[in-house]
Amino acid sequence: MSSTLYVPSHEGAADRTRWPLEADFGTYGMYTLIATESLLFVCLFASYFFLNSDDRWATDQPPKLTYALIMLFVLLLSSFVLGWGEKQAGAEQYGAARLALWLTVLLGLGFMGLQYFEYGDHWKTLTPMSDSYGSIFYAITTFHAAHVVMGLLMLGYVGILPSYGPTRVPPYRPYHVAALYWHFVDVVWIAVVGLLYILPNLQGHVRA
Amino acid sequence: MTIASPEQRLTVLWERPKGIHGWFATVDHKDLGVRYLVTAFVFLVIGGIEALLMRVQLARADQSFLSPETYDQIFSMHGITMIFWYAAPILSGFAVYLVPLMIGARDMAFPRLNAFTYWAYLLSGMLLYIAPLMGQSPHAGWFSYMPYTDIHYSPSHGMDFYALALIFLTISTTGGAANFIVTILRLRAPGMAISRMPLFMYSTLTVSFVTLFALPALTVACVFLELDRRWGTHFFEIAGRGNPILWQQLFWFFGHPWVYIVFLPATGMLSLIVPVFSRRPVVGYPYIAFSTILTGVVGFSVWLHHMFTVGMSDLAMSFFSAGSMTISIFTTVQVFAWVATLWLGRPVATASMHFALGSIALLVIGGLSGVFTGIIPVDWQAHNTYYVVAHIHYVLIGSNVFPVFAAFYYWLPKITGRMMNERLGKWSFWVMFAGFNLGFFPMHIVGLLGMPRRIYTFGEQQGLEQLNGLMTLGGLILGVGILISIINWAVSLRTGPLAGRNPWNSDGLEWETDSPPKPYATVHIPTVVSRHPLWDDHDEEADPDNDRLLDEARLTLTTTMLDAAPFSVVTMPGDTLLPLFAAVTTFLLLLALVFQMIWLGMAAFVATFLLGCAWLWPRPLKGDL
Repeated sequence: MSSTLYVPSHEGAADRTRWPLEADFGTYGMYTLIATESLLFVCLFASYFFLNSDDRWATDQPPKLTYALIMLFVLLLSSFVLGWGEKQAGAEQYGAARLALWLTVLLGLGFMGLQYFEYGDHWKTLTPMSDSYGSIFYAITTFHAAHVVMGLLMLGYVGILPSYGPTRVPPYRPYHVAALYWHFVDVVWIAVVGLLYILPNLQGHVRA
Repeated sequence: MTIASPEQRLTVLWERPKGIHGWFATVDHKDLGVRYLVTAFVFLVIGGIEALLMRVQLARADQSFLSPETYDQIFSMHGITMIFWYAAPILSGFAVYLVPLMIGARDMAFPRLNAFTYWAYLLSGMLLYIAPLMGQSPHAGWFSYMPYTDIHYSPSHGMDFYALALIFLTISTTGGAANFIVTILRLRAPGMAISRMPLFMYSTLTVSFVTLFALPALTVACVFLELDRRWGTHFFEIAGRGNPILWQQLFWFFGHPWVYIVFLPATGMLSLIVPVFSRRPVVGYPYIAFSTILTGVVGFSVWLHHMFTVGMSDLAMSFFSAGSMTISIFTTVQVFAWVATLWLGRPVATASMHFALGSIALLVIGGLSGVFTGIIPVDWQAHNTYYVVAHIHYVLIGSNVFPVFAAFYYWLPKITGRMMNERLGKWSFWVMFAGFNLGFFPMHIVGLLGMPRRIYTFGEQQGLEQLNGLMTLGGLILGVGILISIINWAVSLRTGPLAGRNPWNSDGLEWETDSPPKPYATVHIPTVVSRHPLWDDHDEEADPDNDRLLDEARLTLTTTMLDAAPFSVVTMPGDTLLPLFAAVTTFLLLLALVFQMIWLGMAAFVATFLLGCAWLWPRPLKGDL
């Protein structure tokens, strides 16, 4: 073990380029944000199952699947497009990267539009005020929607960043950091669809 | 820039701008650390005054110094202030000040985030304290159980301030945790491998991860509370098919790890102070490091022990009872390591050491009463009595306040550059120690006699008067002891003898810097070859080729996570007002939500986002790289 430890030495000492000028802190910072946000959703899902634990909900009608699945498709597609864009940014193909980024933003906006119609459909039978099922259902989906909005704002911001600015750092890093967040938002929606939509539909009822 | 000496160049680069603008714009971790310490100490004094008001009310039977409503508000504000706005932030203050110095970095990984988290912490406390100014404080204790906090039973704005100020504090604390994690993992001096870090780094790192994983539960709970109160949802309301126990589950999933958040960094400080004043390296470094991490991990499997009286399955209760007792093993390991260090060393009885040893004694008593309350039948008996109040104060004062005073006596000479009066410090310790035990030990007894906590008075015939009188006296003496230390610090600031670099002959890198440290800390980024850099023969700043001078711009050196081999040079941001503005707009956002002013809230959100964009916008470096 100790043989692998770094031992400072002055031999072959160096010019200014000995260590590259590079910061990957943003990526690390985003990992911590994603870690804490994951637990936020874990707590929301735990609340969902806790409230569902003793047959207290009024409704037993599973939510309709159609919109949720289309929205899942849209979001997954956006993540793949953005993943391709990241590759382009890494290869310094900034034009293609920018295109992929704005395409992702469009798909994200499409998701928000679909969510608007989905809510409109649900609202006829269920509101956050009807009972604790409505409260937690809308809480989880709205929390997620808020994260989509934040993701879109981040992507839009990266989209208008200058290609190479006065920091002389290629824009790959901010691109990558925003993309990480977007993938996270995407993964959360998979969990939302699985637990709030697909599971009750498989069971045929909402109550545990 | 053509300035001759490296010191001058570094000073120009790292010094904050002059005047008021510089005071508000600084991102220097040393400025911010001192502000954290001062602000948290002010909250300690405010919370202490609230405690004394309660003790005056309870000094004798059937008093009417405070009305029941006022008493409820004051004990709630006391708990909230001490737990949230004093106990954790004061440790963050030490960490913000000391972590970069201890690991040989020029600043934290995200200096502007550091400024933002400080301002957010300060403003969240101010948001909370708008409530008493309006005469509408939170009044349901620091854990605010439903349904006391329901809009029907608590129509004032008190609980709204509670929920939203806590959400604000959560943002600040989470940002701070992310900052510590990246700083400690990536900014350690070359050679400071993970096996050579000061133990305080282990505790800060552990609680930062615990913060990331535990705080979201509090955020969710507070969001649900606010939605239930003002926006018509039914998370907690039985009538709306909700469940009030959900609040308890969420709150304690956060709440118990939080206990370790306010405890572990303090043990980390003890693990640095006790060896220095025992004149030898700490005994059992790896054991302390691992038990610190394990405390953080197992801390997530004990939360139900706050809820043994709620009613749950035997399996759940057994599991959480076992978890609660398991966790005491890790603390015991640390205590034995300190005792062994003392035993094998040649202890020096400084004021700081007095506080450290007193803290260990109190921590053992508080820990033992904790093991008792982890046993389910005992818990059922002691639940909601003064026994629990005694336990929490032995643990929190023993493992937070006393270590914090030990740390003040140890590190203030580094921070202010001046020594304190040792004799006065020891006086302060003995007065505090006597006052504390006089004030809090009888709480075990009145608790077992059946005195419930949070009661605004008691009857004459209940036989509790003498002990309660004693408790009030003890509380006042504790206050006097704290006052002696405050006077000591104030005097030393003006007339204390100069401290020099390393007054205690300590081993840590922070003692390599001047007292008080220069804005850039050390001229050359140090290198480390052992756990005790200042006690070995290696010259940390030796750098004949000026490789680690880094005086072209605001630069610092990053290293790899485990081995701390040099990895890259990073640029650090300049001083800016944007974090302060962002904290102010966040404050406005949450204040607007207290009163459901949607449009103001929206405007504040947009402003915060735009400030964030400006904050992250690429800008030229200070200096000429």
